Amino acid sequence: MAPPRRSRRPRTTLLLLVFAAVTIITLDARGGLHVVTSGVRSVASDAFSPIRSGVNAIVEPIGSFLAGSVHYGAVREQNQKLQAEIDRLKMESRSAADQAEALRQMSSLLHLTYLGNLQTVPAQVTDFGTSDFAATVDINVGRSDGVQLSMPVVGDGGLVGRVVKVSHHTATVRLITDGQSAVGTRYGPAPGSLAVLNGTGPGKPLSADLVPSNTPLSNGEVFVTSGLQGALFPAGIPVARVVASHTGDSASQESVSLQPESDLPHLRYVTVVLWGPST
Amino acid sequence: MTRGELARLSLVVLLFVVIQETVMLDVRIGGVHPDIMVLLPIVAGLIGGPSRGAAIGFTTGLVSDLFLPTPFGLSALVGCLIGFTVGLATIALDRTAWWLPPVAALGGSALYEVTYGALGSVLGQPQMLHVALARIVVVVSVTNALLAIPAVRLVKWGMAEASTEGMPTSDAGVGAAR
Repeated sequence: MAPPRRSRRPRTTLLLLVFAAVTIITLDARGGLHVVTSGVRSVASDAFSPIRSGVNAIVEPIGSFLAGSVHYGAVREQNQKLQAEIDRLKMESRSAADQAEALRQMSSLLHLTYLGNLQTVPAQVTDFGTSDFAATVDINVGRSDGVQLSMPVVGDGGLVGRVVKVSHHTATVRLITDGQSAVGTRYGPAPGSLAVLNGTGPGKPLSADLVPSNTPLSNGEVFVTSGLQGALFPAGIPVARVVASHTGDSASQESVSLQPESDLPHLRYVTVVLWGPST
Repeated sequence: MTRGELARLSLVVLLFVVIQETVMLDVRIGGVHPDIMVLLPIVAGLIGGPSRGAAIGFTTGLVSDLFLPTPFGLSALVGCLIGFTVGLATIALDRTAWWLPPVAALGGSALYEVTYGALGSVLGQPQMLHVALARIVVVVSVTNALLAIPAVRLVKWGMAEASTEGMPTSDAGVGAAR
């Protein structure tokens, strides 16, 4: 009897698919395919946007229930009637606080002094990141509102990030805390010294690059965008403030931690600045 | 793959995308949201074997990539690797066992997320390893293990028949497997 043998087809299939995937990734990263992939992504976003809105309206209560069920154990022994009353009151209170916070954010966005005469588009944050591996938010404005790739996005406190994906009616913003984000900034007394603020991951403080060792920095000192020629952001937008700094032994650079000026975890409304490096 | 199977599978993938982009994005556990798109290559590998697992993992990965800010093609790469691995790892097991889908979803999802972060890092996105990877692995694996059985039913409906491809065969069985 012949010994059992395996088909070689699965391995060939896998090799072909891996080759195809690596080719797509490489071409996309090198720019050859990027126009196509970003176009397809944009079409997919546009096509999916109404489906997402419609389904969200129907299933949001289910999502809320699933999220709430995580905390169910803590409240299960409470009297049902009393609990319902407490929930109602809590909802009213939360709703009022929620509306007050939304109003505060919208009002403060009307008076962003650091933007000067730059043209802007207000936007609402619709989703906090579709991937657990990147710090991004989705907003409800897109190409039809004048938004283009790489445009800066600001919040009431300062810089939020920049547009990395744009479709007809929506856009994705990479936050300054994302590990891929780097912002050219200026700090200290005029004319100021230059530094680059790098994101270190969602919810983590920013780190500063190019700050010489033993630079006298005080906690609370604000770094603002440098606006040098070719920079990705206009000058003078507050980015982050120092929360800690120290120089290690024989280190050539100061180790600086900074907290973003905008309240990134609680963004509701933002402003897209209709500005590009060439404008 | 017949036209009917393609249409049914497309419907299943669309359903998964809709659930992921609506309900799942609203559910956050420790700042991490579940990812049911990861289930598709795992379940496809479990039902259809390594080759179909890889093919469906690749295709569903490309669909996922349309909605993600990470490099285009990365989910396809990881999807085909995981679909193939799950298909290969479960060849010798009784695929009708009730416990297999949750266990495969648990292990497969953990492997998927670690591979995703590692390959993303290798492919020029080093920040992808500077996230709360352990938390992502736990949340995605556990939720997918809980959802594995309904997912298997859906994908089984989508695929015309469970394949025996890639399994050890005698001479008599080779033709049937192909």
